[in-house]
Amino acid sequence: MNTNNKFGPRDRPTVRASDGLASEAHPGVGMASKLAGLFPSSLVNYMIALAAIFSLNFILPRLMPGDPLQAIYGQEALVVMSDEMEAQLIRQLSLDKSWWDQLLAYVLGVLQGDLGFSYYYREQVSQVILGALPWTLLLTGLALVLATAIGLILGIESGYARGSSLDRGLVAGLMFLGGFPDFFIGILLLLIFAVSLQVLPISGATSPYAGHEGLAHIVDVLKHLALPLSSMILVQLGGIFLLARNTIVTLLEESFILAARAKGCPERCIKYAHAGRNCLLPLTTATGLRIPQLLTGALFIEIVFSYPGVGSLLNTAIDARDYPLIQGILLVITLTVLTANFLVDMLYSRLDPRVRYAH
Amino acid sequence: MHIDALGEISHDPLAKAGALMLVVIAGLAIFAPLLSGYSPHDYTGNIFSPPDRDHPLGTDSMGQDIWARLLYGARTSLLVAGAVALISSSLSVLVGASAALVGGLYERLCMRIIDALISLPTIIVMILVAAYLRPSLPLLILLISLFSWPGGARIIRSQVLSLKQRMHINASRTFGAGKGHIISKHIIPDLSPIICALMMQDARRAVFMEAGLAFLGVSDPTVISWGKMMNQALAFTYLDVWQWWLVPIGLALSATLIGISFLSFSLETALDPRLRREESTEESISVARLA
Repeated sequence: MNTNNKFGPRDRPTVRASDGLASEAHPGVGMASKLAGLFPSSLVNYMIALAAIFSLNFILPRLMPGDPLQAIYGQEALVVMSDEMEAQLIRQLSLDKSWWDQLLAYVLGVLQGDLGFSYYYREQVSQVILGALPWTLLLTGLALVLATAIGLILGIESGYARGSSLDRGLVAGLMFLGGFPDFFIGILLLLIFAVSLQVLPISGATSPYAGHEGLAHIVDVLKHLALPLSSMILVQLGGIFLLARNTIVTLLEESFILAARAKGCPERCIKYAHAGRNCLLPLTTATGLRIPQLLTGALFIEIVFSYPGVGSLLNTAIDARDYPLIQGILLVITLTVLTANFLVDMLYSRLDPRVRYAH
Repeated sequence: MHIDALGEISHDPLAKAGALMLVVIAGLAIFAPLLSGYSPHDYTGNIFSPPDRDHPLGTDSMGQDIWARLLYGARTSLLVAGAVALISSSLSVLVGASAALVGGLYERLCMRIIDALISLPTIIVMILVAAYLRPSLPLLILLISLFSWPGGARIIRSQVLSLKQRMHINASRTFGAGKGHIISKHIIPDLSPIICALMMQDARRAVFMEAGLAFLGVSDPTVISWGKMMNQALAFTYLDVWQWWLVPIGLALSATLIGISFLSFSLETALDPRLRREESTEESISVARLA
């Protein structure tokens, strides 16, 4: 009893703290009526967020003192630019016209997939980002799936055996782990497995010039993925685990668990099919809220392991002050986050019949 | 709900551990000039020297004393943490409480902006702004604060909304209390636990953001930052220097973050009236079951 009280309420704020709105977004009358329309009302929020990024990208360089072209492309870029190139860019961005024409040129350009020209890579920004994005998506996608699966299973087991030494050990251990900044966990794994033990590759996504084909190539990719992936999972695990565990703890008090027990359901069935399944809803909400954090976390991890994704690209872009590239990355990451959030919203209404049949 | 917070958390081992970590870090920051004979900007001449009596953590690639830089880095982290906590939580209270109290179109507008800001990947927006502005430390603090308040404002708003309906507020209104009186005598004191918890979270996020941004290369070049040092050290993992350069700084940063988290978990549990209510219902459930 004592230990129950000690652990029960204490870690609830953890979940609420890190997710902020998880409790508000929880299924309820408000959410249900909000989702009554064809699309979640969150779509409007996403549009506002996107508009904010658009205007930030547009206004920021034009607010800077001095020549707008210099502000957009950075001092370093202008040095390597020829006069014709400058003239062409001024024409293309309508910099000699009113700000309204400039905005129009900018928005039309972005809608056509033109994010500007990266002078550092001497290529279209969209091409540069498209080259890096698959690696980031591979890393974050796998991390999301694996962390959710592992966190859910550990959470169910731990919540089911609330107060046991397994439970207390997991709660304390994962809470401690969750305190570390993502990139330091990455650095520690790098130092242990790649520098000291030298069992796994230290950087990159594939072995250069190895020319692996087929299965050997896949093994090579997985080997390079192992460390960044495990660091991301370790970072994400704590929050998912605590949420699943606390949900299970409250669910076990519900009468449907009692009913399942009364009709003689085996323990495993109660754990996973009854309690575990009901964990999925809050977990989905929390996942949606965690996506921005997940992606930015991936950027740091990529830099630690020189993984050739968007994070490393961003690092290069900051060092080279390649402003169009930074802007492009911001836009692409925001779009990815908003799309993922939107998908989670849709998934949510599929998962919870109460939301679907609300009206 | 007036709770003796300090009395409550002083019995909690988690809070004790967290407070101890923070006190140690704060001590390092305050007594930095006494703890190291070197200035963090001094070039000692020999690079990559291993730890010895003169340099407890050796010297880095520029020949600067790592121990001195670690001490002064703590100052930066704690300064950013404190300043952001103050500014950001004030913004949260201002927007959240006013939205709940004013209501109407203003409230809806505020909530739309908050929802939109929450769905943005904040760090990258900050990177973009910082890349253009090349921020000094005060500007960085302002920038982190400007992107940290929305989550808190949401929590404050929902708290104020529920407070507005409480019995004692209604009673006070019945006795003829004005808006100002209700806000200053009832709502603000009742909010203080939440504000405390918010400040802790803001502080934690600020330490992380400052280190993270510096790690990415966005920082004031004259400021000593743990994140920047870790990024520099990461380039030399093929040498043994990481043992006394990369790891101690990472541990100091982690200790600061973990210290704040532990303290804030404990504080939230002790202060939050909602948690207390849950606790009591849990107790009543178990009592009912026993009966």
